[in-house]
Parts: sequence; C-alpha cells; structure tokens
Amino acid sequence: MMIAANIISMTILFAVPLLLVAMGGMFSEHSGVINIALEGMMIIGALFACFTLQAFDKNGFGPAHPQLAMFIAILVAGGTGMIFSLLLGFAAINLKADQTIGGTALNQFAPAFAVVMTWAIQGQGLTTIFIPNWVRITRETFGLAPVDGPSFWNNLVFKYFYLTTPVAIVLFIVAYIVMYKTRFGLRLRACGEHPQAADSVGINVYKMRYAGVLISGFLGGVGGLAYTVAVGSGFNSDVGGYGFLALAVMIFGNWKPLPILAASLFFALFKVIAALNSTLTFLPKFEGVKEISNFYQMLPYIVTMIVLIFTSKNSQAPKAEGIPYDKGSR
Amino acid sequence: MSKQNKQPLLQRPAVVGVLASLLFIVIGLVLGFVLLVLLNPGESVNGMRAMLTTGFSSMDKLGKVLYQSAPLMMCGLSVGFAFKTGLFNIGASGQYTMGAFFSLLCAIQFQLPWFVCLLAGAVGGAIWGIFPGLFKAYFNVNEVITAIMFNWIGMYLVNLLLANMPMMLASGWGASNSDRTAALSAANPGAILPKGPLAGLFGNSSWINISIIITILFAILVWVILQKTTFGYELKACGLSRDAAQYAGINSKRNIVLSMVISGALSGIGGGIYYLAGTGQYVLEKSILSMGFNGIPVALLASSNPIGTIFSALFISYIQVGGAAMQPAFSSETIDIVIAVIIYLAAFALLMRGVIAKLVSGRKEKGGAAK
Amino acid sequence: MYKRYTLERGVQRLADNYVIEMLHITKEFPGIKANDDITLQLRKGEIHALLGENGAGKSTLMSVLFGLYQPEKGTIRKNGKEVKINNPNDANALGIGMVHQHFKLVECFTVLDNIILGVEDTKHGFLQKEAARKKVMALSEKYGLKVDPDALVSDISVGMQQRVEILKMLYRDNEILIFDEPTAVLTPQEIDELMEIMRGFKAEGKSILFITHKLNEIMAVSDRCTVLRKGKYIGTVDIKDTTKEELSKMMVGRNVQFAVEKKPCEPGKPILEVENLVVPSKVHKNNAVRGVSFNVRAGEIVCIAGIDGNGQSELIYGITGLEKPTGGTIKIEGKDITNATIRERSKAGMSHIPEDRHKHGLVLDYTLADNMVLQRYWQPEFQNHGFIKQDAVMDYAERLIAQYDVRSGQGPATIARSMSGGNQQKAIIAREVDKEPELLVAVQPTRGLDVGAIEYIHKQIVAERDKGRAVLLVSLELDEVMNLSDRILVIYEGELVGEFDPRKTTVEELGLYMAGARKQGEAKA
Repeated sequence: MMIAANIISMTILFAVPLLLVAMGGMFSEHSGVINIALEGMMIIGALFACFTLQAFDKNGFGPAHPQLAMFIAILVAGGTGMIFSLLLGFAAINLKADQTIGGTALNQFAPAFAVVMTWAIQGQGLTTIFIPNWVRITRETFGLAPVDGPSFWNNLVFKYFYLTTPVAIVLFIVAYIVMYKTRFGLRLRACGEHPQAADSVGINVYKMRYAGVLISGFLGGVGGLAYTVAVGSGFNSDVGGYGFLALAVMIFGNWKPLPILAASLFFALFKVIAALNSTLTFLPKFEGVKEISNFYQMLPYIVTMIVLIFTSKNSQAPKAEGIPYDKGSR
Repeated sequence: MSKQNKQPLLQRPAVVGVLASLLFIVIGLVLGFVLLVLLNPGESVNGMRAMLTTGFSSMDKLGKVLYQSAPLMMCGLSVGFAFKTGLFNIGASGQYTMGAFFSLLCAIQFQLPWFVCLLAGAVGGAIWGIFPGLFKAYFNVNEVITAIMFNWIGMYLVNLLLANMPMMLASGWGASNSDRTAALSAANPGAILPKGPLAGLFGNSSWINISIIITILFAILVWVILQKTTFGYELKACGLSRDAAQYAGINSKRNIVLSMVISGALSGIGGGIYYLAGTGQYVLEKSILSMGFNGIPVALLASSNPIGTIFSALFISYIQVGGAAMQPAFSSETIDIVIAVIIYLAAFALLMRGVIAKLVSGRKEKGGAAK
Repeated sequence: MYKRYTLERGVQRLADNYVIEMLHITKEFPGIKANDDITLQLRKGEIHALLGENGAGKSTLMSVLFGLYQPEKGTIRKNGKEVKINNPNDANALGIGMVHQHFKLVECFTVLDNIILGVEDTKHGFLQKEAARKKVMALSEKYGLKVDPDALVSDISVGMQQRVEILKMLYRDNEILIFDEPTAVLTPQEIDELMEIMRGFKAEGKSILFITHKLNEIMAVSDRCTVLRKGKYIGTVDIKDTTKEELSKMMVGRNVQFAVEKKPCEPGKPILEVENLVVPSKVHKNNAVRGVSFNVRAGEIVCIAGIDGNGQSELIYGITGLEKPTGGTIKIEGKDITNATIRERSKAGMSHIPEDRHKHGLVLDYTLADNMVLQRYWQPEFQNHGFIKQDAVMDYAERLIAQYDVRSGQGPATIARSMSGGNQQKAIIAREVDKEPELLVAVQPTRGLDVGAIEYIHKQIVAERDKGRAVLLVSLELDEVMNLSDRILVIYEGELVGEFDPRKTTVEELGLYMAGARKQGEAKA
C-alpha cells in the first residue's frame, strides 16, 4: 500500500515538469513555430530560479516565508524562460530562419550558459546549485501535527509536495481554457493551421506567433524549476532530457491538453518505475539482467515511435508549423 | 565543372559561404569575449588568449586538437551529408553512440583488429540512421523527431547492453570501476588505432594516431560521392528540389533512406574512431553525448561541403582545446556558447549569405545574367 | 478643377449610384503591367461580372480592391469619396468582403469558429458564441445557405465550404461582395444554387463583383460585365444588350497572329492512347479529370485547349506519372504505362516539358550542364559504374547550348537560377527534344516568354512533329492553339467537350466551348 502511495506521488512529481513543458510546446506549435528548444528554456528557467532560491536562503527571506519565496522563484523561472524564448521568436518569426536549427542553437547555448554562470557566481568548479530544504511543503506548512510512522495519505500528499505541483495544476486549467475558450486561443490556433486565413480576417500572425513562443518560454522555464525540485539533488545545468521527453509527450498527446496530461502521467510512471524497479515486486523479474532501469527509461520513447507510425497518417499536428509566415505569399 | 568558370571570385557561392562562416566565427568569438569581460574583467584577456592560442602552444596540444577533430569531422560529414539531401540529422549523437558500442564490442568482446572494429562502428551507426530515414520516407514522420527519440533510445540501449556484458567493462579486466568500458590497452591493444607515420612527428604525444588521416580520407570519399557519382547527383537533386527530382524519375524515398544510412554510418565511424584511440573509455552516463550535436556547427560552418568540413572541424576542435585551458578562471563551456552563437547565426545563413553576396558584388549585379 | 475633369475623361459619372469605383488603376509587376489604366464602376445592387482570359488582370484588380496590392496609379472611391485600402482590414471596414478562389478556412475548426474568427464576441475575455450562432443561423436561413455550424470544415463538401466563406462576409455585414471564380470547384447543381443566392443578395441591395470566364454564368446572373484583356480595359456592357458571341470576342480579341509556317499534317499510327482517364484533384474532393479519352498520332500536334483550372494540369500529371490516375489506361505505342514509374515512362519514349519550369523542369541550383542531363545522367553515355563522366556531360551540354542557342553567363557552368526565363525554357526544350522521344508532352511551353523566344519554341515543336513525333500540347493561349495544332481538344471541367480542326474553327467558337456554353455530343478521338 505504501509503495502505491510512493509511486503515485512520485509519478505526479515527475509528471508536473513534463506536463508544463509539453503544454508550452503545444502553445508554440499551435502558433506555428516548432519549438525543439524546450530543453534549453527549462535550463534557463531553472538556473535563474535556483539562483533566486539561493539568494532567498542566504538573506533569510526564504526560511521565513518559504512558499512566497518559492512562488517568486516560479515567476523568475517563467520570466527568464520567456526572455530566452525571444531568441527563438526573433529567429523564427522575424528572420524566417530554419526553426529546427535555431532551436538546436538554443539547446546548445543554455546548458553551457548555465555552467558558465554557475561557475562564475559560485566559484570555480562548483557546478551544482543546491535547492534549500524549506521549499518542500510539509505538514507544518498547513499547521498540521506530524504523523507517526508510515501513513498512506501522508505519503501520498506530503512525501513529495512542492508548490510547483498546485501551480502546474492551475496553469494546466488556465492553459486549457485559454486555448479553447478564449478569443486569443482561437486566433493562436488559426495562425498555426492556416496563417493566410488568419491574416485575411485581420489577425496579426507575427504577434500571435510571438505570443505562442513566449508562453512556451514561460511554461518551459517553470517546468525547468519543477524538474529541478523533483530531482532534489540540486541543479546541475541540465534537465535530464526532459525537454525532449516533453516533446514526445506533446506528440503522443496529439497537441491537445487532456491527452497531454495523460501522456505526461504515463511517461512519468515509466520514469518512476525505472527509478524504483528494484523495489517493485509486481514487475516482471528479469533474472540476471543488470541495470534494467535503462529498459524502462527507453520504453516511453519506443512507444512514442510506435504511436507515430499509426497516427502519422492523420496527425493533428498544426498544419503550418515550421513554415515561416511571409505576408507576401498568399 | 570548372572548364568555363569565369565567375568573379567574390561572387562564387563557395567564396560567399566561406566569408559567411568567417563572419559567424568572428561574431561568436566577439560575443564570447563580451561574456568573459562581463564575468571576470580582470581575467578576460588571458582567457581569450588561452582560447585562441593554446591549440598551437605545443605539439602535445596540437596532437589533442587533431585527436578531437577526427570524430567531430565524421559527425560534421554525417550532418552535412544529410543536409545535402534536405534532411536534418540531429540524430548524429545516437548514431555516434551506436558506432562506439559496435566498435568496442568488436574490440573487447570479440578481440578483433582495429579496422574491423571501425567497420563495425559504421554498421552500428548505419543501423541507427536507417530509422529516421524509414520513418521519414514511409510514414512521413519528421526526421528530427525520430532522431531525437532514437538518440535517447540508443543511449539507454547501449547502457543496458554494456551493463550486462561483464567482459566489456573495466571491472572485467582487472580495474575496479564497472561504470565504463575496459581500457583498450588492457583488453585488446590490437584494436587501438596505430600511430602510423604521425608517430615521428608528434613523438610522445599520447593523443596522436591515424584517425585524422582516416577522417580526411572519408571527407574526400564523401566529396567524391557527392560530386562525381550518379548517386550523389540524385541525392543532391532530392535535397535541392524534391519536385524536380520526382520529375526526373528519381526515387526520392529510396534516396532518403540511403542518405540517412550513409549519414549514420559516418557518425558511427566517428564514435568508433574516438574510442579506438585508446585514450577514452565509454562511460555509462545518463545524458546524451555532445559529440554528435557538435557535428551540427561543423557542418553548418562548412556549408555542408565535405572538404570545408575538414577545416571547420579543426577549428571547433582547436577552440575546444583552448577552452579547456581557460579553466579555472572560466568554465570550458564558454566554448559551447561561442558554438551556440555560430549555430544560431547559421540558422539564418541564407539571409546572411544574401547580405554578404550583395555587399561584395554590389554594382556588378546587373551584368551577371545574360539574356 | 479643370485638371481633375480631364482625369476623369471617359469615365461615366452620371447620377449613377456607384458604390465602388476603381478609376484608372495601374499595377505593375517586374516586367509586366498586370493592370494598365483599368476602370471599374460598381453600382449599388447590381451583379457586375469581370470577364477575361487567364492573365487578363482580373485577380490583380481584385487584390487591389481587397487591399492585398497597392496600385501605382489610380484611385478607389466608395460612394463617391476617395478611400485608401492598405490591407484586408481596411477593405472589411469599408464593407468589402471576398470569397477567395482558394478558400481561406481553417480545416480543423468548426464552421462557426471559422465564421467568427477575427470578429469574435467576448465577455471577460471568454468567447461568446451563442449570439454568433443565432446570427449565423438567421443568415443561413434567410439566404438559403445551408451549413452545419458545428461540423469541422475538413468534413464538409466544397460547396458547403464556399457557403461558409459567403457567411463570413455576411456575418461581417459586408455590402460589397467579391466572388473570385466561385464556380470553378462546384458541381452544376451547386452552381445553380449559388446563382440563386447571388440573386438574393442583389434583391437585398448588396453589390456583387463576380469574377469568371464562364459566359453562361455571366448571361444567367449578371447585370453588367466589364471585360479585360492582357491587363487592359476593353469595355463594359449591359448584359441585356449583348450576346455570348460578342462577349467571347471581347474576351479573346483579335491579336496579331504569329503565323507558324508548317507543312500539312500527315498523321501516322497512334503513339499515345488515353482511355477513360480519371485523376483526382489536390484542391477539392471531386475528380479533376473525369473519364477522358483521346489519342495522339505520330506526326501530329494535338492541343488541349481550355481555361486554366479545368483539369488540364492534372491530365498531364496523370499521363506523365507525377500523379497516380485512379481510373482508365494510358498506352504508349501500345504498351500500357498506366502504373509505370516516371523513369519507365521516360524510357518508353515520353518527354515532358513541364508547366512549371522552376518547380519541376529544373534543379535551379544545379549548373546548366547538370540540368541538361537531368533525364539522362543514368545512361551509359554519361556514367560509368556510377561515376558521372564529367567530360561527356560537359561536351553534351555544350553541344545542346550551341545547337539550341541557349544563352547564359558562364556556359555549362552557369547556375540555372541565374538564367533568364526564356533561356531556362530553351534549355528544358533542348533536353527534352534531344532525347528523341516518341511522344513530346509540352505544357504551356511559352508562358511568360517574349516574342522571340515564343517563335523559336514554336518552330522547335513543329520541327518535332515533322520528324514524325507525336506532340501533345497544353496551352491557355488561343493564338498558340490555333497556330500550332493539327487537332484541338477542348477541356471543360475535367471532360473533353469538343474536337476541332483549327482550319475549320474560329477563336470565338473555341471560346464558347472553353467557357462551357456549348458541348459536342461526344468528343471522339
């Protein structure tokens, strides 16, 4: 029973960054810009958020107001992710550059920049930024008395509880509403499907595409922080390929919010199984096989590829994604 | 086809390409320097000097430049070859990893000589290259997506396999660590690339071997395939204009797959050549090897020209060696920032080349095309 | 005042209630005057047809009115007041709406979402669709524009998609409605319905500009008609005072004819035999070619005449292998090539001068020499064990360049992109003709070329015929059709509607068939 609580709470913990980042990718691609730079945006967001947390830790604000400090860090992650995403927007929208190569450049840039910055700020060779303990939400946060010994509900809720989780849930709901219930969402999607049609009814395609890229930068940045707190061992200038995994989640989720939610839980579950496989008795026993976690790690990617084979014929991918919009060609 | 080449030197596409690349490099280095100044003004000049001069500071360092440039060159050739067919092979990393695995498998497990191991590396890379090709040609799945997925699948697969082959690991050959493959000097010295004629030149440098010669030969081979054969003619036609290729009766699906297979093989050889040098051991890590990704700027800087790739790989390797010497004042990743700037600029290279072409040709424009 | 008066010389300015006036519009593109001093005046509550052949300048003129292009000269007035239209939003604000020839609909959106896109009602930022739905349903009811507001555009018929486009205009309360070739994609029943809808708008007092080249439709529905030819204004006539014949004459005109000298035709055995060919369309769900049968014999030039978009492109795609036919058979010299690859067709003796020389005909970034062997690089003459014989390619290219007078900056080393259009076309013709094909398929071989190049290309095609080769020509230029061909087949809406001997027919008669006004009982090969 306890193991179930652990699996569920860990799955949610790791699904949060995937969900946020995949939703970010969804906004960018629905506006018509392919965003393979999600990994880079995560790194940049996490980097600055971790710096912020560390500063709050040092000046005492953090321990005094832990969740307020965390909330500010989340805003910093989103904000810096957004600023970083402007580089993709500028290349893809203004300069009509190859979006994939531009994104590759950002992915190359972000981890290097993070190492250089960490090195410069923390001193030579110190490349890990540790996350303060106080960011985790505990029973005390709500003024509850500690429980003695293992408890299913306590483990489920409080074992891995960070502010990023409720924030992600709120952001997911908001993102869903924005995408399908607002004028902005309708226009954004029109730009990714048929920019000429959007233009002919007076929608500024360039502006909408910038909006899509910026939102992806925000969600990517927050996702980067969510990943870092989930891992727990501090920020090491990388996010373990979660940006690319989120891309797979987005494709697997067919560019739609609810399937993306399901896909991120599914992918996170495999990550958790990979991490815990030795303690999970219900898994098939691969006698004599070492490091079987690698197998569970690669399963989500393999499943994505198989799904792609069957769905590529009627893929829901935005039709105009990756094609720079030129006002001249109608 | 130079028989009647009367085009002014500065208007030739190749010349414009080289100028554009030099411009990218200069902008990248300037931004790198600005970063150094911002981070640590006192050390910035020293840092820059280290970046730009270390490569030539000793025969040993030069040997290291050559040693690192060989796999880079192979990955650059790989990415560039795919570009020529209109494909973006972001999967060079996975193909490189598979190539390394196949080579090491032959070297350690099967105790085969180095040239067989290298060939096996090509096979490994080719196997990993065929997936993006097949998915693109027959399911119309963007090759970038497939390649990214297969980078991760390849890494985890290799980790899984190596972990379960005790003989492959260093611990199987008397060393204590089981997180990496066996050192070739212990497991199979016959699989280490020979020093060949370079031994005399570089003497005691542990870096040097014939890998740089092999890769230059491959660069020439790729150039010959692209420039001199009907196959290259078809591949380039597909890359430049898929519609015209179809009109000419060229089977573009077959060409996409073949192009990715060859591209994968080139990356695979890169992986083999790096680990068969005997200096590095494959470490079972949880992140993707960056070598394949670095093939992208190598190819972009060379405008995908195989001969140009030789120089761009040497350049990237050169500043990487310089970057290592910038420590401890600066992190060596500064170099990656410079490289990232170069890739970013290359993303709108066409635009930049257009600007350069206009700048150098200026008023001659009208005289160009005859009626 | 005086100056202004002269400006408007020749323009009817009476008590007429003109809602839109386009006066002396001139719009140039590099190398071509698409609109040369064109005046168009639209009365309130009339259906005004705009008639002209392809390239007459109709679309350019409408793009100017809709704000997509800015004219070099001329003014636009609404209700007598001069206005500036810089973009589609300005046009919309003036009450001008347009049904584009290629629909501008988001396929994965519902009908309702497409209609409201750009003018959505919101409350606190949330979409409010109920009022919009009511308005759309009311409009749909009122004008008989049956649509399902909740269906996805990708799931509905082309006819319904067009109704959605019309509803988009009505929803925006547009008073001036432009229909750009609206009937091209419709079935006859749908066309009848559309005509009825247009009459309804007219009764409401809305003004309609109806771009078309189908004479029957103009006679059926419009009040007046303005005719353009080659970018120039020909005239405006009242439909009740004119005939189809007169309109046809205004449309095709009587141009200087480039006489092509040729011997009488001596046709031999059939080379190309096409039987009941069906080819699907990429733009709409109907078939573009609907059961076409004909043959081309050795030593004759057969021309497919028709207005652009009536299936001639797809017919050629089907024959040359660029598109898979879904029905019928194609034979060359009795050999069935219906499902053969493009290379196999080429080996069977087919040469193809494609419609779009930039897209298909040339690898633009290859050298001229490389382009010259595009269809033959694999032949033993040019390769040895997979290695291209560079010298052979060079020599061959030089021979073709000299023989066919292809001019370029650096001879065989010239990049094809840098050559002039005429020389690019000459290069393609040299390559295709030099293959010594049994069948030469040439699609609009003189499009966009100057007189000298046209004459040269015509001579080459006739020379091929005289050598006993079968030539299948597709042309939109009636002069070319009349001068060059030995037999004319008229294609209309994917079917052959008539076969003619150029010596026994007139441009006017062809025009009537091309515009769908007449049809022969059965076009026999």
